[in-house]
Amino acid sequence: MTAKKKTPNFTEAFKELEQITEWFDSEENLDLDKGLKQFERGLELAGALKKKLSEVENKVEEIKKKFDA
Amino acid sequence: MQQLVLSVANYLNLVNDTLKTVPSKDLMIEGEVSDFRIAQQKWVSFDLKDEKEQAVLKCFMTTWQLKVQIENGMRVQVKGYPKIYERFGTFKMNVQEVMPVGEGALQRAYQLLKKKLEQEGLFDMSRKRALKRFPERIGLITSRDAAAFGDFVRILNNRWGGVSVDHAHVHVQGRMAVKEIVEAFEYFNSLNDNERPDVLVLTRGGGGLEDLHAFNDESVARAIYASQIPVVCAVGHERDESLGDFVADVRASTPSNAAELIVPSRTDVAYELETMSRHMEERLRESIDRRGHIVQRATNLVSFVLDRQKERFRFVYDKLTLTTSDWIPQIRIELEGLGRVLRQVDPQRVLARGYSIVSVDGTVVTDASTLEVGQDIAVQFGAGSLEAEVKRLNGKGQQQLV
Repeated sequence: MTAKKKTPNFTEAFKELEQITEWFDSEENLDLDKGLKQFERGLELAGALKKKLSEVENKVEEIKKKFDA
Repeated sequence: MQQLVLSVANYLNLVNDTLKTVPSKDLMIEGEVSDFRIAQQKWVSFDLKDEKEQAVLKCFMTTWQLKVQIENGMRVQVKGYPKIYERFGTFKMNVQEVMPVGEGALQRAYQLLKKKLEQEGLFDMSRKRALKRFPERIGLITSRDAAAFGDFVRILNNRWGGVSVDHAHVHVQGRMAVKEIVEAFEYFNSLNDNERPDVLVLTRGGGGLEDLHAFNDESVARAIYASQIPVVCAVGHERDESLGDFVADVRASTPSNAAELIVPSRTDVAYELETMSRHMEERLRESIDRRGHIVQRATNLVSFVLDRQKERFRFVYDKLTLTTSDWIPQIRIELEGLGRVLRQVDPQRVLARGYSIVSVDGTVVTDASTLEVGQDIAVQFGAGSLEAEVKRLNGKGQQQLV
């Protein structure tokens, strides 16, 4: 199945981004070095997620199995 | 040919036996209730009538067999066994089951089933599951011909993308509906993890109780209850309700609403991403600013200390210059005064006026009586000096020769 390969999972990426955003809030005095790294990662995630948002198509497939059997 | 003679009782037994050959189990007799009465809170009797053909069937049953409320004028279907009661010679239907028919009657049946399922806990809020915020696979159970199908997919596409929708085509009304819907639930739940949808949607357009019968069916309700995958149920218009709605984890008011509840909107999520990015940036900037601020403060502090020192120095310097400029002329005046005094007592000046100083061995003589006649003395004048010998002292000694 291509399910695994299919781009980074939106839910996971979003969750990671949320965690990073929370990290920025939880630190009273940000470690600047770590802050920059986190920021970079956050922007990367936000960018990937935004890109996913531009996916327009949903794939609708009718299941071949007959349910009137 | 010998005629068979029977007693009345035996005859009626024979007739009753014959009546048992009527396929009662498979028959429902439909008519309108009249002359409904309950005797001694135990015996129920009513007439079942055809309005047009003036046919009457007398019905008899007990109150505990009567599970639904019926009343005169209500259309019902009854199931039971016909019998002639020997004592009164009357033909009656021994009723086992009464089923109301028509909208009002169905409503009644619906309420009863709802109560039963509710008591069993199928509607408990505590067992409702939350939906995944970003589902990737949706199991859609509805008819491909229903408007609900189109509505759901359209709103889904409007809001979100990249989702796989596995559509199980089932009838949503008619006699096949219940069986197909139940099988669709079983199918989705039988899939292994990577093929299994994140959420199931059971939906159809609105309709009367008769149209919605499948969504009010007990086995469909139980299939929803048993589903390991969270279920969203959406029937028709806002005001329509079905038992499926109550059992489902999430109840949507319409098929479009179901799509809204299942996927987020791009706009909302884009805004959220924007907000998070901005927030991170702000926090980072704040942190940098705070550090800059600390440096600034330190600089300020140092220059403040320097200023203070400078100020102090200036103050001391000013005070110094002020006092020196004050006391130097003063000293000059004082010195000049002293100089004058000193100059006035300078012995040289006194001698210059004609005085002389007499000394013996360098000691100034101020009292003549310390001297002796014949002693050598030194006399100093304003200009020059001499040495002499004391000849006469205070009138004593060698007479001056005149």
